[in-house]
Amino acid sequence: MAFQDYKLFDLRHIKFVGFSNFKDAFQDPKFLLALKNSGYWVFFSLISQFLIGLTLALFMKKQFKGRGIYQGFAFYSWALSGFLIGMIWKWMFNSQIGVFNDLLLRTGIIHDRIGFLSNPSWAMASAIIANVWYGVAFFAIMLLAALQSVPADLYEAADMDGASGTRKLLNVTLPYIMPTIISTTLLRAIWIFNDPTLIYGLTNGGPAGSTHILSSLMLDKIIYAGDYGAASAIGVIMIVLLLLYTIFFLGITKAEKVGDF
Amino acid sequence: MTRHKKYSALLLVGALSAGLLAGCGSSNTETTSNNGGGNNGGSKDEPVTLRMIESLTSPKRTQLLQASIDKFQTANPNIKVELISPPFDQADNKIRTMLGANEDLDVVEVRDLTVAELVNNGFIEPLDTYAASWSDFSTVSAISKSLGSTGGKLYFVPNGLYERQLFYRADWFKEKGLNPPTTWEELYDTAKKLTDPAKNRYGFSFRGGAGSNGTTDAMVLAYNGDNVDLNDSMFTKDGKSIFSTPEAKSAIELYLKLYKDASPKDSISWGFQEQVQAFTSGVTGMLLQDPDVIQSLSEKMEAGTWATAPLQAGPSGKALLAAGGAGWGITANSKHKDEAWKLISFLSSPAENTEFSKAYGLIPIHTSAAEDDFFKTGPYKTLLDMTNAPDKFLNFKPPFDYPGTGQWGQVEMESGQALILGKANIDDTLASWSKYWDEQKANLKK
Repeated sequence: MAFQDYKLFDLRHIKFVGFSNFKDAFQDPKFLLALKNSGYWVFFSLISQFLIGLTLALFMKKQFKGRGIYQGFAFYSWALSGFLIGMIWKWMFNSQIGVFNDLLLRTGIIHDRIGFLSNPSWAMASAIIANVWYGVAFFAIMLLAALQSVPADLYEAADMDGASGTRKLLNVTLPYIMPTIISTTLLRAIWIFNDPTLIYGLTNGGPAGSTHILSSLMLDKIIYAGDYGAASAIGVIMIVLLLLYTIFFLGITKAEKVGDF
Repeated sequence: MTRHKKYSALLLVGALSAGLLAGCGSSNTETTSNNGGGNNGGSKDEPVTLRMIESLTSPKRTQLLQASIDKFQTANPNIKVELISPPFDQADNKIRTMLGANEDLDVVEVRDLTVAELVNNGFIEPLDTYAASWSDFSTVSAISKSLGSTGGKLYFVPNGLYERQLFYRADWFKEKGLNPPTTWEELYDTAKKLTDPAKNRYGFSFRGGAGSNGTTDAMVLAYNGDNVDLNDSMFTKDGKSIFSTPEAKSAIELYLKLYKDASPKDSISWGFQEQVQAFTSGVTGMLLQDPDVIQSLSEKMEAGTWATAPLQAGPSGKALLAAGGAGWGITANSKHKDEAWKLISFLSSPAENTEFSKAYGLIPIHTSAAEDDFFKTGPYKTLLDMTNAPDKFLNFKPPFDYPGTGQWGQVEMESGQALILGKANIDDTLASWSKYWDEQKANLKK
């Protein structure tokens, strides 16, 4: 389909067009912006989700009062669909009735309302914030499971050697859970890259296409333009990019893993 | 994890899978093989299942529709109707996909925006022969007939008409001693006077997201006034695009001022829901909408705090007005066309249509229904007032004959947002809009 002029609105004129859909994509400023946005989207979402997720997991590993409630709260986001989360955050970001503007105004941090989703310089950052919240639980769950499997005698040995907390984290904990870190970050990056649902619910790619990522642009081509040819071409480009990323990621992580553990 | 993947996959393949899912629904009639296609549906004694799909779905509307269908089924025990109600956002694409895949569908909700495209693809059947023998057809208003027709043939019977008017905060207007605006210029001035960001109060419920072309088109049409070709409304009487005139530029300049000086910043991405929500929650003072919001305004706002006024005119004193809507059509590959028509004529009867219009907030399609007091008073009165002043409110035919009409909303929205954000200038934007319609015209002539 990526090599066809295949439009749902004009099914009588479907024809083979070679690489024309790919050429059009790379000449379309919207596609190039979505490509750039996809890069920011995956990079910042992944790093933040990982760091916050790891912190939460380390925190929850220890027994403390109310751990169960805290765990439930931390994992709550994972029970919802990306689309729903997008819709919820859309209202929270709303500049007139949204909770964020209200809080910031009440605390005196800002004096003018911020158009989180209407101002293009805020919109992508706002979408990433919502996405971080969405994905933190995944890392927390996976890393917590890995942390709980670290044998206690390794820490005892480290204690006997007089290792500090940071030292134990860097030399015992992280190397031990490294396989989990590698597989979760690899998987999560692919999902973040592929999943248009949050963007779709939150901004629908707007304003003026400024928050489109490749997957949401692809959806846009199907839903609004009915252009399956163009959408399929974007899909093929996404598969190629993911393939390159996976090869690259597995290449570097394998080398590091050998060195560290 | 699996759940997440499932959701992503579901949305990604959305429209593609829609057809498949529908195919998995309950079985088609058990007697299709005996019917031999054509216009000869099942005989009177054989049970027939009609599959019907709606487009402008909402939970309330589906419920009303189902109630009418239940009545029909009681009166016609040998006809079973299976109603498919996809979510509003995906409905038109689901319809396209199902029709494109030749799936079993008998009755389809055709929209003013999609009729040309469905006819072009040969998906729907002309209804003139059926309508000729329908006794209630004589009271169907001329505007409803015109809405359901393209290329001189009737393709759908509308299930109600939508017509834009102004809803305003009567209490805010009283507070400031303002009168409802009669022109777009006055609307801007009034909106500016009502705007007080410190109080989180804005004059106008701007709509910059999905459906934003409702405002830009209305303003450009009003500014072109008498010069618009009322039968081919995206063009002037001398065949140029309405977006190519100096008047269009003045209209868009005012449109930008309306956003900048009198509307919330967020409204650049507002669609229907946000626009109405802002009005009902007391953030905005004026809202341009169709009568289907009357129900929700009545429920959420106190009586007396809001009122209606006619649509605003351009500098020449003329406002351009059109009715829009959707209605029931028969698919070209239906095996039960006679039964499908039976259902359509039942749903479109004066009794059923008037009840549906009252309950959902639409203008009924039968002229006889306008005599009902319900439509002569309250928020509906303005709509009748506009109809009764045809010199000031010029009735135009929207460009529903162009297959690109369905795409126009998306094209206008994206370039309109870029214009508001200062990423494009008025001249270039108007030139791109002119080009879009010139191309539509050229393609239609081919």
